[in-house]
Amino acid sequence: MKFYKDHYDVVIIGAGLAGLSAALQLQQKGITDILILEKHNLPGGLATSYVRNGIEIEATLHEMMSIGTKEDRLKVGKFFDACGVDINWLRVPEAYRFVETSKNIDITLHAGFEKMAGEIDAQFPGWGPKVLEFMQLCNRVYDSMNTLSVTPMSKPAMLMKHPDFVKTAGYTATEVIDTFNFPDKIVDILTPYWIYVGNPMSTLPFTIYAFLMADYFRGGSYVPSKYSHEMSLKLQMKAEENGAQVEFCQEVDKILVKDGKVTGVRTRRGDTIGCDYVICGAYPNKVYTQMIEPLSEVPDGAIKMVNGRRLSVTTASVMMVLDDTPENLGIKDYNLFSAETMDTDKIWEEGKTTGPYKYLTSICLDLANPDATPEGMCQFSITTLPLVTGFLDLKEEDYYDFKRRMAKQMIDEYEKVSGINLHDHIVEIEISTPVTVAHYVGAWKGSIYGYSHSIDDHAIARLQMKEDDHFIDGLEFAGAHAISGNGMGPAITNGRAAAKAVIDAEAKKNS
Amino acid sequence: MKVKGFLKDVGGASRVTKLRKELIASGSPVPKPEDPIRKLADALHPGKQVFTVTEIRDASPTAKTYRFSPKNGHVPVFQCGQYANFYLRIGESVLTRAYSISSAPYEARLKDPYFEVTIRSNVPYLVPDWFLENVKVGTEITAALPFGQFYYEPLRDSKNVVGIAGGSGITPFASMAKEIARGKLDIDLTVVYGSVNHTDIVCGDELQKAADACPGKIHLVHVMSDDPEWDGEKGFVTKEILEKYSPEDPSYFFCGPPVMYFMVEKIMKEMNVPRRRFRHDAAAQPGVKLIPGFPMEYVGKKYSITVVRGVHEDVIEAAADEPVAVALERAGIPIDTHCRGGECGYCRSQLISGDIFVSPISDGRRAMDKELGWFHACSAYPMSDLKIKIPII
Repeated sequence: MKFYKDHYDVVIIGAGLAGLSAALQLQQKGITDILILEKHNLPGGLATSYVRNGIEIEATLHEMMSIGTKEDRLKVGKFFDACGVDINWLRVPEAYRFVETSKNIDITLHAGFEKMAGEIDAQFPGWGPKVLEFMQLCNRVYDSMNTLSVTPMSKPAMLMKHPDFVKTAGYTATEVIDTFNFPDKIVDILTPYWIYVGNPMSTLPFTIYAFLMADYFRGGSYVPSKYSHEMSLKLQMKAEENGAQVEFCQEVDKILVKDGKVTGVRTRRGDTIGCDYVICGAYPNKVYTQMIEPLSEVPDGAIKMVNGRRLSVTTASVMMVLDDTPENLGIKDYNLFSAETMDTDKIWEEGKTTGPYKYLTSICLDLANPDATPEGMCQFSITTLPLVTGFLDLKEEDYYDFKRRMAKQMIDEYEKVSGINLHDHIVEIEISTPVTVAHYVGAWKGSIYGYSHSIDDHAIARLQMKEDDHFIDGLEFAGAHAISGNGMGPAITNGRAAAKAVIDAEAKKNS
Repeated sequence: MKVKGFLKDVGGASRVTKLRKELIASGSPVPKPEDPIRKLADALHPGKQVFTVTEIRDASPTAKTYRFSPKNGHVPVFQCGQYANFYLRIGESVLTRAYSISSAPYEARLKDPYFEVTIRSNVPYLVPDWFLENVKVGTEITAALPFGQFYYEPLRDSKNVVGIAGGSGITPFASMAKEIARGKLDIDLTVVYGSVNHTDIVCGDELQKAADACPGKIHLVHVMSDDPEWDGEKGFVTKEILEKYSPEDPSYFFCGPPVMYFMVEKIMKEMNVPRRRFRHDAAAQPGVKLIPGFPMEYVGKKYSITVVRGVHEDVIEAAADEPVAVALERAGIPIDTHCRGGECGYCRSQLISGDIFVSPISDGRRAMDKELGWFHACSAYPMSDLKIKIPII
C-alpha cells in the first residue's frame, strides 16, 4: 500500500509552529507540493494541550509575543492575518508581578511603556522618565531588528538609520543597563523576562533582551481562547487547505543525502520519500550525528558547530487543576515571577542542578481566559527552566519519585512566597521534565530553547554566518535551534526564514 | 546612545561574529550521538514490544492471570493502576485491547522481569474469551505499556485510599496491594469489592496474601450481590457500606463495569465527596443502550466510511451502533486505540465529511478538535456515510 507520492518538493520534519509556519510561508510564494511529517498524533509540538478527566490543560504556553493589538499588529499577528489564520486572542492582563524575597520587592507591571514606567516611578519616585527612556531604547532596537530581518542593508546605511541597534549589538544586557545607573532594585525589576530566553543577563545580548522587553511591553501578550492547540490546529488545517499533506505518528529517522544534496527522507515506519528540500525541526545535533544517511555526507564543520555551541535551558513544570476559583484561592496574578535573588548568574548555577529551584514562573490561565477550566476550578502551572545537565544521570527506576520530589519543592516554594495553599486543592496534576519533552516531541536532550542566546552565539552573528552554517544543499532548519532562537513567536519567524531560504534557493536554481 | 565609546560601539557586530567563530572552532570534531534524555524517555515509553507468555494460572474459577516476559529483558517502570495495550491479529481483523496490569511494579524490576494481566471469561470485552482460548504458555504477543492516569498520586491523593471494584475491575487494586505488601507503596488501602458470589472473586487469594503480609495496611471488604452462603456484606456496593468502611478523608478509586460506575458516581455525589477525592478508570465504551442521548433509531443502520491514509483511500462498511474504531478493526485497518473510552486520544482522527455521534460519557476531545471536526475513533459512531482521515500505521 502506498501512502505517499514518490516525490515532494519539500518535506517538513515536525508539525510544530516552525514547521507549520514554514509550510504557510512556502504556500504564499507558490510552493505547494509539501509533505509534513509529525512524530506525535497532534500538531503544534510543544504548543499543545491535553485532557485529564474531561478538563483541557494548557501544556506550555505562558504568553504569546509579537501578536499586538488589532490596531498595532506585530510580526506574528501580521503573519497570521496574512495567512488567513484567525485566532481568538485573549489579552493577558498584566506583564508580570515580580516578587524578590531577599530585597522585599513586590511590584506588578502592565504593558505600555508609559504605564510600566509610571508603575516603577510609584515605588521609586523620580526614576520613571529614565525607565521610559530605557524602554524607548529597547523599542528602537526592536523596530530595527524587525526591519533588518526582512530588509538587508549595508553597514553604513545601518549605522545611519539604525544607530542604537548597531551601537548596542556587541554588548550584553548588563553592559547596556549599567549605562543607565538604575538602583539595583530597578535593574532586578527589569530582569524577569530573561528566563524567556534562558541566558543570564551578564552574557545575554542586549539585542535579544531589548526585543523581549519591547515586544511584551509594547503589544502586551496573548493566549488563544482554546489553548495553544487552537493556534496549532488552525495553522495545520490552513496548510492542508492550501494543499500540504500532513501525516501524524510518523517520526523521520533518516535524511537521505547524495553528493552534498538532500534527496529524500525515510520514516521509522520504513517509507522512503523523495524530495528536493527538507525543512527540519530536529536539532542539528541529532541530524548530523544520527539522521543524515550516509553519515559520511556530514562535513567535519557541522560536527564542530554542534559540539561547540551550548544548548540553552529546558523545562520543568508542574501543571495543576485546582478545585476552586482563583478568587477564592487568593490567586490574583496571571503571571508571577518569584525569586529569592535576581542574580541571574546564581539562578543559572541553580539551573544546573535538579533543585531546589527558587526562580519560578507561575501562571493562572483562568485570569486571562475565564473559560479555561470548568466552573469552580482553575488551572495553574509552576515552571522553572533548568539546564539539562542535572537530568542526564536520572535512572528509570527513580524517575517518578524524582518528578514528585521536584514538583513538591516547586509547589512548596510557591506557597511560601505567595501564602497561597495549593496542596489541598489539587484535582489533577502533571509534571513535565526534559524527558517529557523528549518523549512527545523528540527534541534533542529534551531541549526547548535551542542554543544559548549568549553573546558568543549572538543572533546577529548567526545571521552573518548563515552561509558558514549551511552544510548540505536543500537542508534548512526550523525550530528553536535556528537563528531567531526560542519561544513560540520566534519559532514562527524561524519557520518563515527556513521557507525563505528554500524559496531563494529555488529562485537561484531557476534563474 | 553611547555604551563604551563610538568606535567600540560600532564594532560590536563584527566582535560578536568573531566570538561565535571562536566558539564553533572550539567544538570537538568527534560526533556525539548520545542523547541520554531521549534514551530515558524511550526506556519509560518503549512502545510496542514482543512478550512471551511464561505462566498462566487461575485467578478464579472463571479468570486467568497471564504472565508476560519481555523478549528484550526490559519492562518499563509502571504505576499500580496503569494498563498495557495488546496488539492482536484475529482472522482478518487487527485489534488493540487494553488490560489493567494486575502484577505489582516491583515484579517488573526483578532479575527476570514480567508483568501480568488478569482476564475473566464471559466479559463481552470486544474479544470475548480470545485470550482464554488462544493464548498458551510460549505464545508470543505484541504489547505496549504503560498507559493511563489511574494511579495513586501522592501530591494529590489522600494516603487513605478506598478502592471500589466490580468484577475484573479488581486488578488495579491487586497491583496496589502487592506493592504495599512489598513495602514499596506507602498507603493504606481499603478495597470494597463487589462480586455476584464468592466463586466470582478475582485475585482473591493474592489479595488476602498481601493483606496478611502487612497487617493494618490493607483492608478487604467483599460484597456479594447473590450469595446466600456469604456471611459478610451482601447486596450491591452502597453508600452505607462505603461510609461504614471509609477511613478519614479518603481518596476513592473506582474500577469496574459501566453500570456500576453510574451507581458509584451517584453515591459519591450523595456523600459529597469532593471531585479531587474521586477517580475512576477510563472505562471502555459500553453498548449504545447505556450511552446517554444515543439516537436509538439509528441502531441497525449501515453506512460506508471512506478512510483516508496519506494518498491512499479505502471504503469500508460500518454500523451506526458500533464505534468507528470497530468498523476499522473489522476491515483490517489498524487504528491505535488504547483506552477505548475516548480519554487518551491515541485514536484521534479527522472527520472530513459526514455526521458522527460522540458518546458524551467518553468525550475526551480538546475544545478546538471538537470545533474543527476531529474525533476519537473509539467513542464516535457514524450517523451517515463518512469520510475520515486516520494516521498511517
